[in-house]
Amino acid sequence: MTELKESMQKAQARLKKRHAAETRFKAFGIGALVFAFLCVVMLFSSIISNGYTGFRQSYMKIDITFDESVIDPQGKRDFDTLNRADYGKIVKQSLYDFFPDVKKRGDKRTLSNLVSSNAAYTLRDMVVADPSLIGTSQSVWVMASDEVDMLIKNVFKREDDESTRPITNKEIAWVEKYESENRIETRFNTNFFTAGDSREPEQAGIRGALMGSALTMLITLALSFPCGVMAAIYLEEFAPKNKFTHIVEVNINNLAAVPSIVFGLLGLAIFLNIFGMPRSAPVAGGFVLALMTLPTIIIASRAALKSIPPSIMEAAIGVGASKMQAVFHHQLPLALPGILTGTIIGMAQALGETAPLLMIGMVAFIADVPGWINDPATVLPVQVYLWADSPERAFVEKTSAAIMVLLGFLITMNALAVLLRKKLERRW
Amino acid sequence: MKPMTKENAIDIDKSVDINNEMTNPQVSSLQIPAEEVKIKAEDVRVRYGEKEALFGINLDIPQSKVTSFIGPSGCGKSTFLRCLNRMNDTIDGCSVTGNIHMDGVDILSKQVDTVLLRAKIGMVFQKPNPFPKSIYDNVAYGPRLHGLGNSKSDMDEIVETSLEKVGLLKEVKDRLLEPGTGLSGGQQQRLCIARAIAVDPEILLMDEPCSALDPIATAKIEELIDELRGSYTIVIVTHSMQQAARVSQQTAFFHLGNLVEYGETEQIFTSPQDERTKGYITGRFG
Repeated sequence: MTELKESMQKAQARLKKRHAAETRFKAFGIGALVFAFLCVVMLFSSIISNGYTGFRQSYMKIDITFDESVIDPQGKRDFDTLNRADYGKIVKQSLYDFFPDVKKRGDKRTLSNLVSSNAAYTLRDMVVADPSLIGTSQSVWVMASDEVDMLIKNVFKREDDESTRPITNKEIAWVEKYESENRIETRFNTNFFTAGDSREPEQAGIRGALMGSALTMLITLALSFPCGVMAAIYLEEFAPKNKFTHIVEVNINNLAAVPSIVFGLLGLAIFLNIFGMPRSAPVAGGFVLALMTLPTIIIASRAALKSIPPSIMEAAIGVGASKMQAVFHHQLPLALPGILTGTIIGMAQALGETAPLLMIGMVAFIADVPGWINDPATVLPVQVYLWADSPERAFVEKTSAAIMVLLGFLITMNALAVLLRKKLERRW
Repeated sequence: MKPMTKENAIDIDKSVDINNEMTNPQVSSLQIPAEEVKIKAEDVRVRYGEKEALFGINLDIPQSKVTSFIGPSGCGKSTFLRCLNRMNDTIDGCSVTGNIHMDGVDILSKQVDTVLLRAKIGMVFQKPNPFPKSIYDNVAYGPRLHGLGNSKSDMDEIVETSLEKVGLLKEVKDRLLEPGTGLSGGQQQRLCIARAIAVDPEILLMDEPCSALDPIATAKIEELIDELRGSYTIVIVTHSMQQAARVSQQTAFFHLGNLVEYGETEQIFTSPQDERTKGYITGRFG
C-alpha cells in the first residue's frame, strides 16, 4: 500500500514536470511563429515603404511654343521631318522663357535638366499625331526629372544642408516657382508598366522585364510540365523496380538540390555554345529554368500519384482496364491537384530565379520590350538586381516597386495553387 | 537461416498435422462432373520474390455455385483468388506457375489478354472501392472500356439492370449523377458488385467483400450473393466461417499455402476429414 502511494507521488512529481515541459514547448512554438511573422512584416514594410512612391510620378506643366522654324522650317509636314525635329530645343526654350533671369550657360544647362528627356518624346508624339499644333502655344504636362521627382516625394529634403543632397538650392527655388503656380503634380505612374528599362530612372519601366518573364515562363512550362508529368507517371506506375530506375530516382532527387547557378553554367555550355541558342533570350532562359523545375515537378507528381489509394487502381484493373487506361482515367485525374500545385510552386520558384539567367546573359541592359522568345530580354528578378545596382537615388523606389510586382505575382501563383488544390481535391 | 523451400515448408505442415498425413494431394471429398467444372486449377504455385506463397494447389470450381475459401490470415487464399483473374500480374516480383483452365482455356498462358480475361472474371474487393465519380459513371466505366452499350439508351439500360440486380436501383434512382463515394459502406460495396457485373462476366471473385461492413449490410450482400449464384460462378474469400457456411455450396480450407481440405460446405463444417480443418473450424487456431 505504502509502496503504491510512493509510486503515485513520484508519478505526480513527474506529471508536474511533464506539464511544464509541454507549456515550455508551446511557448517556444509561439515564439518561433511570432519571430517568423515579425520578419515577414519587416520585409514587407521595408519594401512597401520604399516602393509605394515608385507607382507615382511627378509631372510639370510647361508652356510650349511649337516653333515652326525649329520643327519644320521647310513646311513639308511629312512624318520624317516631324519625327526627327529637335523637340529638346523647344522644351529648353520653354524653361528659359519661364526664367528669363537665368543667363549663365551652366545654370541654363541645370535648368533644362528639371524636366525629363522624355518630355521631347511627349512633344514629338503630340506633333506627329496633330501637325496643326505647329505654330501654336500650348500648356503641356511633361515628366519631371528624377531629381525633381525625388524632391517632390520628399526623398531629398529641402531642410537638409545643401551639400548633403544632390539637388541645389537654386534648383529648388526654380521648382518652387512651378509649384507656386500649381504647375507640378504627381500622377499614377503608367509609364512604369508600359516602358522598358532606361538609364533615366523616371523613364524606366518593367514592361520589358514582365514580357521577358512571361516568355521565359512559357518556355519553362511548355518543357517541364509535360516532361515532368510523363517522367513521374512512368517512374511511379510503369517502370520496373530495378537498380537502374533506383539510380534514376536518386539522381532526380539530387538534381533538385543542385545550386541553380550550375544550371546556368550548363545552359551556357550546352544551349548557347553547342546548340547556338541566342544569348540573353527567353528561349535559352526557359530551357535552363525548365531543367531546374523538372525535378520539382517530378517529385511533386510522384508524391501525388503515390497518394492515390491502390484500391482505385485495382478497381479499374479489375473491370478490365489496361494499365494505361487505369492511370489516365483514374490515377492522373485524382493526382492532378497535387501535380498542378507542384507545378505552380516550381514555376514560382523559376519566376524568382536570378543566378542561372546571369550566366546566359539575361543580365544585359535591354531597353526594348521583347516581342518573342528569341529577342534579347531580361526577367523581373534580374531587373530588380540591375536597378538595385544603379547609383541614382530614384532607382531605389523603382527597385522596391519591381519587387512588389514580383511578389504580387508569386503570391498570386501560390494562392492559385492553394485554390486549385481546394477546388479539385476529391475525397473518398 | 535456411531459406524457406518447398520441402521444409511441407515439413512444417507435417508437424502441424497430428495424423501425420501427407497434405499433397489434399483431402477432397468432392466429385464434380467434368462438364460442370468452370475453373480447373492444377499445381498452382505462387512466389513473391524469394518467398513462396502457394505450394501447388489443385482445385476444381463448379459452375453457377458459390465456392468459399477459408483459412487463417496469410494462408494464401487471397493469393489464389487473385491468380484466377491474373491480378497478381500487377504485383512486382510475383510469379505464378501451374495451370488454371477456365472452360478449357489456359488463362495463365501469355497469349491470354488480361483485359478480356478480367472482363469475363469480375472482382469485388475487401474495402468498397468505388471510383470518385458519379454512380452512373461507376457502373458505366466497364461497359465503356469494352465498347458495350454504344448508344446512350443502351448504356442507361446496362446501368439500370446492373443496379437492379444488386438491389441498389431503388435506393439511388434519383441520384445517379451524385458521387458513388457518398453512399454508405454497404451501398458502396453493392455498387462495386454492380460495376463488376455490368460487363456481364461469367465469374465473380469476391475478396472478403463484407469485412468492412456492418452486420445488416453484410446480410444484404450475402442475400445478393445467393441471388447472383444462378447467373454467375462465384468464388468468395472470407474470414467468417458462418458466412462461408451460409452462402457457399463448396468450401476450401487453406493453411500455410496449402489447400488442406475441399468439399461440400456442409461436410466441411460437420465432419471435416483433416485434423487441421477440424482445429480451425472449432476455433482451436486461426
